[in-house]
Amino acid sequence: MDIGPIWRALLRNKSSFLLIALQIAATMALMVNAIAIIQERSRLMARPSGIDEENIFYIDSSSFDKDLEYQAMVAEDLDLIRAFPGIVNAMLTNSFPLRDGGWSQALQTEPGEGIDGTGTAIYFADEHGIETFGVDLIAGRNFATTEIVWADPEGAPDWPESAIVTRAMAAEMYPDITPEQAVGKVAYIEQDQPVTIIGIVDRMQAPWKSWAGVERSMLVPMKRGQSFARYVIRAKPGYRDEVMPQLERLLAERDTGRIIDSPGTITEARRMAYLEDSAMIKLLVFIVSLLTAITSLGIVGLASFSVAKRTKQIGTRRALGATRPSILRHFQLENFLISSIGVVSGAILAVALNMWMVQTFDLTPIAWYIIPVSMLVLWMVGQLAVYGPARRASLVSPAIATRSV
Amino acid sequence: MLSMQNVSMVYRTETVETHALRDFSLEVGEGEFVSVTGPSGSGKTTFLNIAGLLEEFSSGTYKLDGKDTSSLGDTERSRLRNEKIGFIFQSFNLIPELDIFDNVDVPLRYRGFNAAERKERIERVIDMVGLGSRMKHLPSQLSGGQQQRVAIARALAGEPRFLLADEPTGNLDSEMAESVMQLLEEINAKGTTIIMVTHEPKLAGRAKRNIFVRDGRLSSVEPQLQVAVGG
Repeated sequence: MDIGPIWRALLRNKSSFLLIALQIAATMALMVNAIAIIQERSRLMARPSGIDEENIFYIDSSSFDKDLEYQAMVAEDLDLIRAFPGIVNAMLTNSFPLRDGGWSQALQTEPGEGIDGTGTAIYFADEHGIETFGVDLIAGRNFATTEIVWADPEGAPDWPESAIVTRAMAAEMYPDITPEQAVGKVAYIEQDQPVTIIGIVDRMQAPWKSWAGVERSMLVPMKRGQSFARYVIRAKPGYRDEVMPQLERLLAERDTGRIIDSPGTITEARRMAYLEDSAMIKLLVFIVSLLTAITSLGIVGLASFSVAKRTKQIGTRRALGATRPSILRHFQLENFLISSIGVVSGAILAVALNMWMVQTFDLTPIAWYIIPVSMLVLWMVGQLAVYGPARRASLVSPAIATRSV
Repeated sequence: MLSMQNVSMVYRTETVETHALRDFSLEVGEGEFVSVTGPSGSGKTTFLNIAGLLEEFSSGTYKLDGKDTSSLGDTERSRLRNEKIGFIFQSFNLIPELDIFDNVDVPLRYRGFNAAERKERIERVIDMVGLGSRMKHLPSQLSGGQQQRVAIARALAGEPRFLLADEPTGNLDSEMAESVMQLLEEINAKGTTIIMVTHEPKLAGRAKRNIFVRDGRLSSVEPQLQVAVGG
């Protein structure tokens, strides 16, 4: 291997490669941190909401009839929807995961003022809630029909006496026992209203995807409304897109004194919820690709210039016995050394930048393997970029050595 | 040792054919010191390139140490150059970023010698050309004569069967040229065959045999005639 002489020659001519090494270092630092952000965003986007996203949709109904019998309307609407072919179940609720709007409360393990509670999202549900959302009840039981209460639509609700919470909520409230053991525990809402935990669901995210407690949710056996009704409907697999417009039409025709909003799917709600993250990922992928392309072009440029400048030297090496593969290896090795300076400095820079970003933007620290993988990628990019100029160098005739110019 | 029979070299473009060498035949034996003279464009460099396996020829036969070179591939030609031939160029052709030690090391690395053997050979030849104290100097820190001595050391390090020198004193003043010539004569006296292309009749006259090239042909092999024509 010719590492020694090539390294010493590079050190004697630093200006020829420092700029490109710096470019590689900057690309490395940005690439590593961009990948870390992409990973972080992708991880957030990949989190399951816990509900049957593929098959659930919602329909909003807004009535302007002053004599509206709201509870009767809801009962009739839901009977009609549940009886419709291709429907698994439906219910009236206030929100759903990924909706980015809903109710929240704090649950205390002890009653009284000044006691810290655990924040939770609240979903109004009835005995159909578990099946409609498609959540997995891992302990306890579902609501009974008799437990469902209609809350006062005007004032603060009187909270029902039972609730079903997520595993994450139970774990946060009762860290010393298993979530399943939280069944039967009495918690307190609004400081002193007792609520018995009757069931635990494996997972059901809060409506706010960026909330730190997004995995903490609670289903309460309650219905509430005056003129606006949000129906969450779960279709049988493969039926959603077919039944959605049919139900919209059916509800609109059943009562012409209201407006039925265009139905929406949870799939679309997820897309909208993570639109910024998705755009950020695309932007970062574009920036990293662009940077890598610019760096490759820089390497091609430097190597081409180097070959053109050293044609006679290459010819001399050939005259002295270098084979074409030896010349190819020489330039590839030289590029490897330059890239190594770049990627090693880049790795240090990447860690420093990441530490700053973790402190400033509360990001997750980069996974250790991103650095060696990025180094490998940039080394490979360097080798690919230098191949063309290096191959041209290997084709230089040894007879160049005897030419006077 | 070097045998050329009816070697021709034709450079072709779309419209022009240039005969750089025509039916060129020459035998050079072991231990000879042959000078090659001739006017500019006569084919001296082409001859040197073909003899040094730097260029392929159009027709004829060229045997180096009994080996027919016409059918050799690039890798085999490179290996043969590295093992059998030492080159000395008019403008020294040292690699400016490498110190003297590393410059002399270049052909030895291509030869595949181990580090200890390379070091021993490099130090020996650098000492031989009188630059033992300058091993870590860069070419730019040496005079022209010293640089040519380094080039000679580089050519000798692999212990080649013969040296091809292309105007070895062309870029040197007379004093340095004389010292380089003396060095070449010493090397020849030790048994290394030398073929030297030169414009200088005086230097050509110091060779044991002179050949004169004109229009791509071998005109003469007489030292006296060569000197007379050159002068």
